[in-house]
Amino acid sequence: MGKYKILLKPAWRKQRFSVLSIFFMMFVLSLFLFSSVTLLKSGKISVEKEMERLGFGDFTAWVVNYPEELPGTVARIPDTGEVLVQDIIFAGYEANGKYSDNEGQLMFYNNQFPYNFISEDGKRIKGSMPEPGTIYVSPAMQQIYGIKAGSSITFELSRTNGKKTFIVAGFFEDAFMGSSMIDMKSFIVNNKDYKEMCSQIREAGENNALAGIGAMFHISKAQESRLADTEFYQKLIGQTELSRYTEFTYRKDSIMDYMLLLQNILAGFLAAFSVMLFLVCTVITGHSLESVIAQEKNDMAALKIAGLPGRVIQRVYIFLYGGSGISGVAAGLYISRFVPGKIAKAMVSSTGMLIDIKVPVKENILILTVLILFNILVVRTKTYRIMAIRPIQVLCGTEFKKHTRTHIGRKYLILDIAVREVIANQRKYIALFLVSVLLAFFIGIVNNINAWTGRNGEGLMDAFSVAAHDLGVQPFNSSVPMDEIERVINWYSPVTDKYELAMENVAVNGHEYTANILNRTELFHIIKGEEPEGNEILITDTVASGLDINIGSTVKVSAQGRTEEYRVSGIYQCANGMGANIGMTVPGYSQIGDITGFIWCSHYILKDGNMRDYAYKYLEENYKEIDVHTNSWQGLGGIVEVVHAVVLAVYIIAFCIILLVTALTASKILLSEMPDLAIYRSLGFTGKQLVMLFALGFWIVAAAGAGMGSILQAVYGRKILINIFRLFGIGEFKTEQILAVNLIPFIIIPLTFLLFALIYSGKIKSASIISLIEQNE
Amino acid sequence: MGNKDIILSGKNIVKDYGGNVVLNGLDIEIYKGSFTVVMGPSGSGKSTLLHVLSGMDSITSGEVAYKGRNIQGLKEKELAQLRGNSFGFVFQKPHLVSSLSLYENIFLAGLVNNSLTEEEARAETERLLRKMGISDVKGHMPSGVSGGEAQRAAVARAVIGKPEILFADEPTGALNKSNTREVLDLLVGLYKEGQDIMLVTHDKEAALRGNRVIYIEDGAVISELKLHNYQGEDKEREKMLSGFLSRLNW
Repeated sequence: MGKYKILLKPAWRKQRFSVLSIFFMMFVLSLFLFSSVTLLKSGKISVEKEMERLGFGDFTAWVVNYPEELPGTVARIPDTGEVLVQDIIFAGYEANGKYSDNEGQLMFYNNQFPYNFISEDGKRIKGSMPEPGTIYVSPAMQQIYGIKAGSSITFELSRTNGKKTFIVAGFFEDAFMGSSMIDMKSFIVNNKDYKEMCSQIREAGENNALAGIGAMFHISKAQESRLADTEFYQKLIGQTELSRYTEFTYRKDSIMDYMLLLQNILAGFLAAFSVMLFLVCTVITGHSLESVIAQEKNDMAALKIAGLPGRVIQRVYIFLYGGSGISGVAAGLYISRFVPGKIAKAMVSSTGMLIDIKVPVKENILILTVLILFNILVVRTKTYRIMAIRPIQVLCGTEFKKHTRTHIGRKYLILDIAVREVIANQRKYIALFLVSVLLAFFIGIVNNINAWTGRNGEGLMDAFSVAAHDLGVQPFNSSVPMDEIERVINWYSPVTDKYELAMENVAVNGHEYTANILNRTELFHIIKGEEPEGNEILITDTVASGLDINIGSTVKVSAQGRTEEYRVSGIYQCANGMGANIGMTVPGYSQIGDITGFIWCSHYILKDGNMRDYAYKYLEENYKEIDVHTNSWQGLGGIVEVVHAVVLAVYIIAFCIILLVTALTASKILLSEMPDLAIYRSLGFTGKQLVMLFALGFWIVAAAGAGMGSILQAVYGRKILINIFRLFGIGEFKTEQILAVNLIPFIIIPLTFLLFALIYSGKIKSASIISLIEQNE
Repeated sequence: MGNKDIILSGKNIVKDYGGNVVLNGLDIEIYKGSFTVVMGPSGSGKSTLLHVLSGMDSITSGEVAYKGRNIQGLKEKELAQLRGNSFGFVFQKPHLVSSLSLYENIFLAGLVNNSLTEEEARAETERLLRKMGISDVKGHMPSGVSGGEAQRAAVARAVIGKPEILFADEPTGALNKSNTREVLDLLVGLYKEGQDIMLVTHDKEAALRGNRVIYIEDGAVISELKLHNYQGEDKEREKMLSGFLSRLNW
């Protein structure tokens, strides 16, 4: 034991910076990794539990004006387990002076649906009946409308003065419509207020009512049912009149996917970043050990001569480096108990729910085991060289170098020598090179996401729309001067492209979906398959998995009492309505629906998309009989902010990694190059030139690494992203800023390395030649 | 020799390493056209003297002047120019840049020197390689040649810029007998071609090559011996040096 103590002390003294840096990196990576897994797992469990507690079934159907006997009919189907009816009012509203694009869904509090409230300090509190005249809203309303307790929300119930205003009393956890990804929002009001509103709507009559009375049917499959979800739903549609009264239906899985979309994206990002950090950490640990062994081999040889076995020395280094890695992982694991809760709390306005953080023990043990084993493997493999040290060869040996030919001339003398030093000492720079590759690749990917998202969320807008556009104008009657409207739009910015789109309700194999009917089918965002012609349709990934159909399948599409068979020609991307939509051609839809009414919305692509909001405002204020919209939605701002924050975080962390890697590698490289630097100085090089020479070496290697990383990113980055984005229902991924995406990391990474190397190697300037020469003696 | 011939001088030089006084008010003059040898026991301060006279190290007090100009006040860049253009250095070990071949080590020094064009540096490198007898290994890396070959390359590197003074600090200290002789003969050859040399050594054989031997002890000049220029082995010359050194208890 004594010998280990004696060896450990000086080793720690000399290596403590490297050892602590490895501890720090392993700590950050394990913190990210454990936090992301906890967040992913806890989010899923929390939403699932809350939906179960609130009685959500395998399907939830939103119905309006349904006959009283409908729930009983549905419940009597043999495969139905339970049907819970939750009364709701659909009504448009104005919050904080802003009109909502979508109707709100008003519910009253009762014990059957015991929603939880959120206290002012962000804690869960048991829900109760709100005071009359007050309302509880989703936390996402904070982000979308700037709502806080005391704000007012006015609902439009009928044309004849039928408005009802509520004061916001607080927020509630909404396991379905809470997410800022969903435009439709739920509200909880007092039972008495709810009944009054129902009376007002009924009194207004069909012609005057602006709001609708309906319900959510939470339908569960019987436990003994052997039907698949789609088969069960088909049965419901076939054997009841449910579809006649249904506005839309969602499966439990789809609801969960949307509820957790943002949180999953963030957790996924954290996990991906941890993997990159893991690779950086492995490279740095390996490099540090290699350098240490190279520097200390004389001492190690001397110790061996003194009779110390190689394995004792090896154990000291395994203890130091392996120990620091494992301690970092353990510290990260411990802190990860607290971080996911904070993230979940910070994201409550995006998810609409407080996530209960439960540490996933099995997954954590698995990750912990993998990290520890890999760390030990790397350290053990690298320190194995200690065993191979032959004392006499080391003490008497000479280091042989291969001759490397590169040009050396007066014009770029410093650069020429830097190139030579790097090539001649490639091994020492490998870690720096690999870290640059990884950073450039990862930053390139993040830049790609950022470029795709766009400054105002243009990428997301495209993903959630049928086809790209800046403005959409739908006239309600023939008196709308569309020519004039187009001139107005052109005045703001020339229209570069235009198409017509209608969005109509259809049933596909009995399931309610929105049909996007486009007059220019080439504009559909097709992911797989072909553009539809005639009796062909496009479906989203969501529809494909929901109905268990694919390209080539034949489906029955019904609308307005007519049904036709259509062939699925391809999969397209439109995340609207959680992907519950299909794409149709005009001739195709004309066989089942009326295409002559005012269903068409003209969509415009502007030369200067920034003018979109100005044109929108003008049209909205000056033309009353149109519906004008942009391709944005209310929750978009928050999502864009999250993406931009992630990009900023990546740059900051990359900056820290570069700083750490420079400090770790520069100290070792500088030490080994000091003899050559001393000679250069004796030949007449100034201290400044030597600092530049050293830092240029870093720049050259980082530039080569960043170049390689950028190339890899350009070749594989998009493919990886497409596959990841498909998981979220986004199948198209286009960015036009190819140069900006790849050039930024290629320029920034080497420059940052250069900067840090310049700072780090500044001490060369003040070092005396004699001391440098003497180090070489 | 008159004042006009002094190219390097030190007056009342004190070099103190944290209380350890290595040079203690030392006065010295190096003349144009001389092959000055500095001798003395270990720890006498002879290497330190070479370092401070060549501007590689600073002094605690006193003055070091090159051609009448105090070099202690020079900026880092001016000192670097002085090292690159006016001084040449040969150390105990060759100290060649490990990532450059012998040719490139010499050529690089030529590039740093402002008086040579790139072409001239190339031609001069080739000439010196031939003169030093290492043309056949010019493409070799320092780790791939013998100690003698490496030291000859170091000498060539030191003189490619035609320095005013060549400082040599125990240049044969790490060589065997035959390599020592070869390197010393090279230095004599260079001197004959007009190269002023200041050689620090504790080797009598090496000291015989000079025409002026300065003996220092405890950081001060104790004595000086003037000799004729070296013309080959000379018993009389050896006797004079031995007598000089024995009087100093060498």
